[in-house]
Amino acid sequence: MTVPRIAVGVAGLEVATAPTSLAAVGLGSCVAVMIYDPVAKVGGMAHVLLPSPASSRRFESPGRFAQTAVPALLEQLEPLGADLRRLTARLVGGASMFANLTPPGSIQMGERNVVAVREALHVHGIRVIGEQVGGDYGRSVEFNLQTGVVTVTSVSQGVAHL
Amino acid sequence: MVDLRSLSELERDALREVANIGAGHAATALSQMTNRTIMIAVPEVNVRRLEEVAELVGPPDTVIAAVLMHMMGDLTGRTMVIFPDSSAKAVCDILLHRTPGKTDTYNDMERSTLRETGNILSSAYLNALSDFMGMMLVPSVPSLVVDLAGAVLTTTYLNFGHDREFIFCIDTSFRVEGADEALTGQFLLLPDLPSLNAIFDAIRLD
Repeated sequence: MTVPRIAVGVAGLEVATAPTSLAAVGLGSCVAVMIYDPVAKVGGMAHVLLPSPASSRRFESPGRFAQTAVPALLEQLEPLGADLRRLTARLVGGASMFANLTPPGSIQMGERNVVAVREALHVHGIRVIGEQVGGDYGRSVEFNLQTGVVTVTSVSQGVAHL
Repeated sequence: MVDLRSLSELERDALREVANIGAGHAATALSQMTNRTIMIAVPEVNVRRLEEVAELVGPPDTVIAAVLMHMMGDLTGRTMVIFPDSSAKAVCDILLHRTPGKTDTYNDMERSTLRETGNILSSAYLNALSDFMGMMLVPSVPSLVVDLAGAVLTTTYLNFGHDREFIFCIDTSFRVEGADEALTGQFLLLPDLPSLNAIFDAIRLD
């Protein structure tokens, strides 16, 4: 049986129920934030590009920003039967590539994205149970809503599960 | 400030010509390094949403080797030389005098070879621009990543670009003519927006 798989593009945001998988490909400085209800087996993923709308002029896709992606995920998960008290979160991405070209002392966008996603989750009372963030390499991620397992792959570091 | 979405056809032509001169010299350098004939395509002027830049260099899940350098001096921005995985390995085979297909991983020697190749090609590109426009252009040290296409370009714009909406680059594809091995790649010029005006001024486009 083939499992339905939804690709979450840059600045995208998707929610689904088991047995669907959600996937994001080629995360560099971007962060994939994944929220899951293990009882209802529903979950969502946002492919966050920037910390907050303040660092950009236009506001549209909520998945684009850490600050807007988290509330949008919660809002869309609730009608699928998710219970806010059971929700947990995992984060993948936020790498710092080309580090030797970055001015010393500056904070890279990947790191800022990770901090912003953690803050947004904290504000909404969602516990972070797994992270694979930072480093200097890109990642792809697959989020299996049947098992709740998050699989992270990268060119240089192989495969890991969260 | 230039509005990227309303570049005139004349301005686009001018940018294509500038890129053509730069890429022509870089291709000559690659040709001499590899002793192969390199063909370059007509440069493309790309203006797109930040969300859509990943596709500029191929499917986001393909592996590429990318050498990024800052461009400083009279223009600011970045240059990038991109080889798809198989072409990057072919470049290593040629420059390290290996039998074709022998390079299968990116260790120190391969990474150094690619970084230096990117350095030489980008410098040739910038030298040609410098001569053509009568400008002083200074390259930074090169930085190499071998990673997913989707991660490389988006991260470049996020960390070094100033605009978070529409991004701009001039992209010139190249390929080896009539060789056994597949060798393709791209030269990218990513000027900061204020530098676009400087380019138009330098070539007296007004």
